[in-house]
Amino acid sequence: MYAAWPVKHKPKSTAEIVGNPSAIKTLSDWLDSWNKGMPKKRAVFLYGPPGIGKTVTVEALAKDLQMEFVEKNASDYRTEDAINRFAGLASQYGSLFGGKRIVLLDELDGLMGNADKGGVKAITDIVKTARCPVVLIANNAYDPRFRTLRSYCLLIEFKKPPASAVAKHLTRICEREGIQADENALNFIAQRSEGDVRSAVNDLQALAQGKKHLTYDDVSWFAYRDRQESIFNVLRMILYGRTSYGAKQAVDMADVDIDMLFEWIYENVPAHFTDPHDLAQAMDALSMADVYRGRIRASQDWSFTRYVIDYMTAGVAMARQKSEVHGWVPFKFPSRIMMLSRSRAERAMQLSIGLKIRRKCHISAARSSKEILPYLRIIFKNNVQMAAEIAKWLDLDAEMVEYIVGNKAKAGTITTF
Amino acid sequence: MSFEMWAEKYRPKKLDDMVDQKTIVERLKSFVKSKNVPHCIFAGPPGTGKTTAALCLARDLYGEGYREHLMELNASDERGINVVRETVKTFARSRSIGEIPFKILILDEADNMTSDAQQALRRTMERYTETCRFIMCANYSGKIIEPIQSRCAPFRFSFLPREEHDDYIKHIAERENVQLLPDGAEAIFEVCGGDLRKGINTLQAAASMNKPVDAKLVYSITGRASPSDVQKMLTTAINGDFLGARKQLRDMIQKYGVAGIDIIRQIHTEIFKAEIPEPWKIKLAGITGEIDYRLVEGADEEVQLSALLARLVEAGSEIKKAN
Repeated sequence: MYAAWPVKHKPKSTAEIVGNPSAIKTLSDWLDSWNKGMPKKRAVFLYGPPGIGKTVTVEALAKDLQMEFVEKNASDYRTEDAINRFAGLASQYGSLFGGKRIVLLDELDGLMGNADKGGVKAITDIVKTARCPVVLIANNAYDPRFRTLRSYCLLIEFKKPPASAVAKHLTRICEREGIQADENALNFIAQRSEGDVRSAVNDLQALAQGKKHLTYDDVSWFAYRDRQESIFNVLRMILYGRTSYGAKQAVDMADVDIDMLFEWIYENVPAHFTDPHDLAQAMDALSMADVYRGRIRASQDWSFTRYVIDYMTAGVAMARQKSEVHGWVPFKFPSRIMMLSRSRAERAMQLSIGLKIRRKCHISAARSSKEILPYLRIIFKNNVQMAAEIAKWLDLDAEMVEYIVGNKAKAGTITTF
Repeated sequence: MSFEMWAEKYRPKKLDDMVDQKTIVERLKSFVKSKNVPHCIFAGPPGTGKTTAALCLARDLYGEGYREHLMELNASDERGINVVRETVKTFARSRSIGEIPFKILILDEADNMTSDAQQALRRTMERYTETCRFIMCANYSGKIIEPIQSRCAPFRFSFLPREEHDDYIKHIAERENVQLLPDGAEAIFEVCGGDLRKGINTLQAAASMNKPVDAKLVYSITGRASPSDVQKMLTTAINGDFLGARKQLRDMIQKYGVAGIDIIRQIHTEIFKAEIPEPWKIKLAGITGEIDYRLVEGADEEVQLSALLARLVEAGSEIKKAN
């Protein structure tokens, strides 16, 4: 029997949910508070990137707390009237049997444009007068459209779970499916998903279903062959696009996310733009795309994504004037991504050292790895006594010392000094 | 020699101990005297005493038990709105016990806060003024939203002048029995440009070699702390090898953790030293400035800097064509 694994292996209770323990706790406390009368905020607004378990959490909590559960995707219910009909049913009256009830309005991002103008207002009205817990879900709660709505809601952010947590979830699924899976195979899938649990489970199914044993070799080709087949076409449309429209269209065909597509373009532009002027223009477009990524990060306004896309596709395509590529130039897998898993572990280490430095030196962990760590490296390599005392002063553990000196034996002499 | 970080050991404890920023220190002292502090913005480049001034002010105000009346938050690590909602609010609204009715919250690197968080902060500042005064430290006050700026007394910190910088470094060298040669002190000022934290760290790293600290040693230290392969990278780019230059850039950022801002500063210096036609120098400086500006807004330093490298490749090819 074929069932999609993300559905089949959906967490049945909150205990099985990957990541976000504090968000889940906040949500569950809030639901609990309804037992003691109507709380100050009658709705919660869950937000965060796709595939990280927002909806699943609500479902599982409803089950855990034995509450009746009414769900609608707001994207189906676009007009004010439709929302109101649903709202009346769901929130003005108690459940038929006096049981407790949760109302969920999912995918609020789906309410778009002028056609839905009344939509957000209708939802806000529901929230104001609700008599039962209302849960709202969107990717971006900070969309300006939600400004008023937000103020009536308890905001709960869901973050991407760490790869290790995703891997654990994959392990559990493999156990249930009776698949023996190598740890590094699952880690690979988990890393690649970048916190999107749903896509990780989809990938796992594609790779492992019907197998007894899953090895690293079974999965490693996944990034390098199958996906490349389609990414090649996408890249060709962008790097050799003749119209802005065509280049922009390519994004919809890509089965990688925008950031990953950016990496592919960034990796391959130099080899395909041979004229120095064209290259400079193409890189300039990528630079502008990146500026908009920064603006999204600063403002949390995801609607700027459209400019990121404009620059990284049409901007790059239109840079081509004189560059001619002779013969076959292969597309290359983004080399930065290959370095990423290593540098990710490295960044985690730098952060934990940074937090130690912060306690003593009144500087953020982020900046300490740039401003203090380089000097520690020199000191630790040259002066065992000073290193030992500083390590003690900062309360560094053996692993951190080893990372700083980059040498196990030397680290030993420091920690045992 | 003592074996903690000297930059901490020699951080001034009282406003009287501060060597520079005289006018600022005087005003802060008057706050202490009147036992009243407004919300403040301390703006200025790194290593000029912003956090130190805030800590000294608190200590002078509350005495040795100042920790109980003070909270230090670092916006670079906790930049989200939830920090304002929870941590800041909880601290700000509870009343302080003691002679002085308010507490002090130091918000370090405040220019790294998201604008949402800043908006939330604005209301908190207003509502709890009675019980809490905010000191925001930032490199760029322009990154702090207007409504907050207008609620704060602004203080501009500037790099230490040569003489005071040298005096302080020499003072530390003396206390730590480090043999600091005159050209060593000069070199420290040259590479650190009046950033005292960087200067002291450089001195300590040099001292860890157990050799007299001269210019050569200082340059070798800073070379390793931020490998000045920048010149090599520049040459690679101007000679037309974009991929080679990008590889060098990547190593600098990923392996050595050099900050993009430092790389671009060095590129700027090197451009004027490079063997390229004079008119090109100012042209390239302008391009460098544009990328420098984008670095502040952008998300990815390597992407921004490699866009600059591509411009250098372009310049190199046009210079060649003109010859």
